[in-house]
Amino acid sequence: MASAKPTTGMEGARKRPFWTIQRKDHVTGLIFVAPQFIGIITFVFVPLILVFYYSMHEWNVLAGTFTFVGSENYEELFRDRAMPGVLAATAIFSLGLVVLNISLALLLAVLVNQKLTGMSVFRTLFFSPVVVSVVAWAIVWRFLLQSNGGINGLLYMVGIEGPNWLRLPHTAMISLIVVQTFKSVGLNMVLFLAALQGVPRELHEAARVDGVPPFKQFYRITLPLISPTLMLVSIVTIVGALQVFGQIEVLTQGGPGTSTTVLVYYFYQQAFQFLNFGYGSTLSIILLGIVALLTYAQWQLRRKVVFYEH
Amino acid sequence: MNTKLSPRTQVALYGLLCLLLFPFIFPTWWMITSSIKPISQIFAFPPELFPSRVDFSSYTTAFEFQPFARQYFNSVYISVVVTVLTMLICSLAGYAFARIKFPGANIMFMVVLMGLLVPSEVTLIPLFQMFRAWGLSNTHWPLLLIQTIGASSVFATFIMRQFFITLPLELEEAARIDGLSRLKIFWTIALPLSRPALAAVAIFTFLHSWNSFLEPLVFISSRELFTLPVALVNFTDAYGGEMWNVQLAASTMSAIPVLVVFVIAQRHFIEGLAHTGLKG
Amino acid sequence: MKLFKKSGLAAALYASAALISMNAAMAQDQINLRMLIWSANEDHLRLFNEIADAYKAQNPQVSVTYEAVPYGEFPTTLTTQIAGGNAPDLTWLTETGSFDFIAAGAMFPLTETFRTTEGYELEDYAQASIDSWSQDGELYFYPFSTSPFAVFVNNDLVREAKQKTPAELVAEGTWDWEQAVEIGAAVNAETGKHGIIFRDFDYTGWTRLAPLYTGWDVKLWSEDGKTCMMNAPEMVDAMSFLHDAIFEKKAMPGPGIAADFFAGDAAMTITQISRANLLPTGDDAFEWDLVPLPAGPIGDYGYVGAAGIGVLKASPHAQEAADFLAFFSNKENVTKLARYFPPTRSSVLTPEVLAASNPLLSVEQLTDVVIKGVVEGRSAAGHTNYEQIVQNVRASLDSLWVPDADVAQVLQATCDNLNPLLQR
Repeated sequence: MASAKPTTGMEGARKRPFWTIQRKDHVTGLIFVAPQFIGIITFVFVPLILVFYYSMHEWNVLAGTFTFVGSENYEELFRDRAMPGVLAATAIFSLGLVVLNISLALLLAVLVNQKLTGMSVFRTLFFSPVVVSVVAWAIVWRFLLQSNGGINGLLYMVGIEGPNWLRLPHTAMISLIVVQTFKSVGLNMVLFLAALQGVPRELHEAARVDGVPPFKQFYRITLPLISPTLMLVSIVTIVGALQVFGQIEVLTQGGPGTSTTVLVYYFYQQAFQFLNFGYGSTLSIILLGIVALLTYAQWQLRRKVVFYEH
Repeated sequence: MNTKLSPRTQVALYGLLCLLLFPFIFPTWWMITSSIKPISQIFAFPPELFPSRVDFSSYTTAFEFQPFARQYFNSVYISVVVTVLTMLICSLAGYAFARIKFPGANIMFMVVLMGLLVPSEVTLIPLFQMFRAWGLSNTHWPLLLIQTIGASSVFATFIMRQFFITLPLELEEAARIDGLSRLKIFWTIALPLSRPALAAVAIFTFLHSWNSFLEPLVFISSRELFTLPVALVNFTDAYGGEMWNVQLAASTMSAIPVLVVFVIAQRHFIEGLAHTGLKG
Repeated sequence: MKLFKKSGLAAALYASAALISMNAAMAQDQINLRMLIWSANEDHLRLFNEIADAYKAQNPQVSVTYEAVPYGEFPTTLTTQIAGGNAPDLTWLTETGSFDFIAAGAMFPLTETFRTTEGYELEDYAQASIDSWSQDGELYFYPFSTSPFAVFVNNDLVREAKQKTPAELVAEGTWDWEQAVEIGAAVNAETGKHGIIFRDFDYTGWTRLAPLYTGWDVKLWSEDGKTCMMNAPEMVDAMSFLHDAIFEKKAMPGPGIAADFFAGDAAMTITQISRANLLPTGDDAFEWDLVPLPAGPIGDYGYVGAAGIGVLKASPHAQEAADFLAFFSNKENVTKLARYFPPTRSSVLTPEVLAASNPLLSVEQLTDVVIKGVVEGRSAAGHTNYEQIVQNVRASLDSLWVPDADVAQVLQATCDNLNPLLQR
């Protein structure tokens, strides 16, 4: 960037202005980013430090006591009989969601990408659940998944007796994964669609001329070329999966038993239902650790999996 | 992609698409039709696809039971305010990070990016305490502030920065030589050009705010201040029993307007998303 | 001229200063009390506001507002308000929810205020109700509503299944749980509708089963609250009976089936009498009846769901709030409140008073079910960390609601999971 300081060699003769263009620029830059920066410090960094601080205290909100207990909350975490189940539920839910969501999104994107009339209608309809309120979507599904609700009603009409979806551990988890997938897959579909449309047609033409079957084309040409998007969408989806709360609160409240009590739900119970702020803070730290770990791992994998043209 | 598909493949394709479409639109259909069924018919077995008797009382009950209109308004105004403010603040920040060399820019950008890593739940307890200390519990201020400049706004800043980097330098250089201030350049040149990215930011921000459930649940305890998602789960009678028909009516009322707006503006929605530069 | 102006100005200044300070003084004395409640019913609110206005007429500086919050998470919401520095002055709480608050010392003692309020007559209250809301001889909540559980019956369905109605069985003296289940099973077999519904139980709210297992003399935990007693024979028997009724006899709708007695889906429902306003009229009406709870192995018994109103110590106007509460709960107002909230004041708990407010119920029903229930009914045992306990047990009991569950084993596991929590 060119500096606009005049260099006439006669600096001694006149006062150098304080507000040079460069300085003005610096200040402008700082002012522009100030709101965002201050926001992040105040609402992300300071709370982060506080969370660590809280996690080392025993805190009874009703009695108003706040006592330092060091690492006791963390020890309790290890002794907590519920934790293995919570971690398992979290893993199952997140992985299931990512796998189902991404494969479905890819499938839909490929289908909708075909040059046929009415594809934009399908695209819109697949995307529509994304804009509906999370809670509204979950309420309708809870209603549908009742033992005598719409889903089982439809199954009944083809002669199948549907299970009690939300009351049995395995079907409850499957229901959660499916409901969440249908809610958010439209978004990923659109992102994949954009990526697919970025694949040069000539490559496919050339492959077709060479007699390469469509599936192999997909494998060898399409997938590598959209791998950056795949990677990014995976990260976003899995981090999102770790934060799904609304569906669980409405559909299963963590049940049956504790089979759908994922980490973020367990955190909510401890922190805001039982008001164990100290222990809740400890759980937050664990959640943060998992997200950081996953993001880092995926970022490292980027080298190996993502294909770059250059 | 192949341009010529045999008629058989085309039919198969349409068939597959319609089949897949089912779980996306059946819930909405069921929600609307059940909300106007009398309560005794809601769980009729075998289920009725079309209501045999129509009963709109659940809609009026929704408004009587809770200050539903007010809650609806709450969600709308919060989402709109947050979206507009975010667009402004994050495009300014994104532009600065992309175009202005100022001391500490890189470090500050790293700090801001950290916000992407931190899930909102992690900071919830301290934020709750902070707002309590400021006397802002049970107000809309926590929602407005956190959603506008907290962790969730970092994505917007990131998108804007990525976009501004792609703008040709010559445009701005010419303007600078003409003596235009940064602000003017931003406002009259850079921002108008960034429409696709801004659209994406607006959509993401609005949806995120509209859908947020955990924060309003935690920060707000008075009915009149509830947002829609929290209001929807509170349609239970005095002892906690479900009021299915009212819940469905309320859900319908909250979903339909957004769906209608979406259908009308869907081209912008989807194209804006495609421009997020998420391609990598 | 100047002097006149000066004196005029001065006078004006003094006058306005006086006015301002008077207003300020009055404003300083202005007390706004907030009571947290869970009823959003308009009729209830109208009555509460009447009482508040009457109090204001005598005490102009005190205003009272009522804030309604959903019942489901009431203790949590209240605690969150307290944690958020936004505590109300007065609050409703159930007998189980109040435990934590009393134990934490969060409630303002009421005995003194009630004793010294003229004409209050603390002795008018049934002693049992006072005891259940006191700790170490100090009263912390006024027994606001003691609502007995009873059985609403759909006689149309019962007759359709060719069964004797519960009312007939009561007259014969043979009305017990076995009989109730028989009727339920028959209704299900004959009409396809459901037998018995424990309202708001839905296979998650296990505490709504208390009207049943109390009949087996079940204790959930030991006197000192440290040991789980749900694996004791009493509970095992009660739950086996229930499990059998659901899965073998099909006298109750199974898990995940949404059914509503008041929509005509079932023969009987166990709930509080206040639900009478849900009975349908017009086309959907059916012939209904109200009978006491069936007898259990311990014989006849009653069960009540109690709610109280207390003052929070955290309130800056705790004493004023207590004074208002004394007014709210005096004989005159309790008589008005009895329309919706069964009182434990013996002078008010009469069929005549109750009849005025419960037009749907007959005098016999009022006497046999309501009054008897209020006076003799047992209620739930509280515990600290109640919310967490309920959640913990609920998760364990989920394994019980399958056809081939081993009741004793599930209850043993329940206690294993619960004991660490009780012993904290």
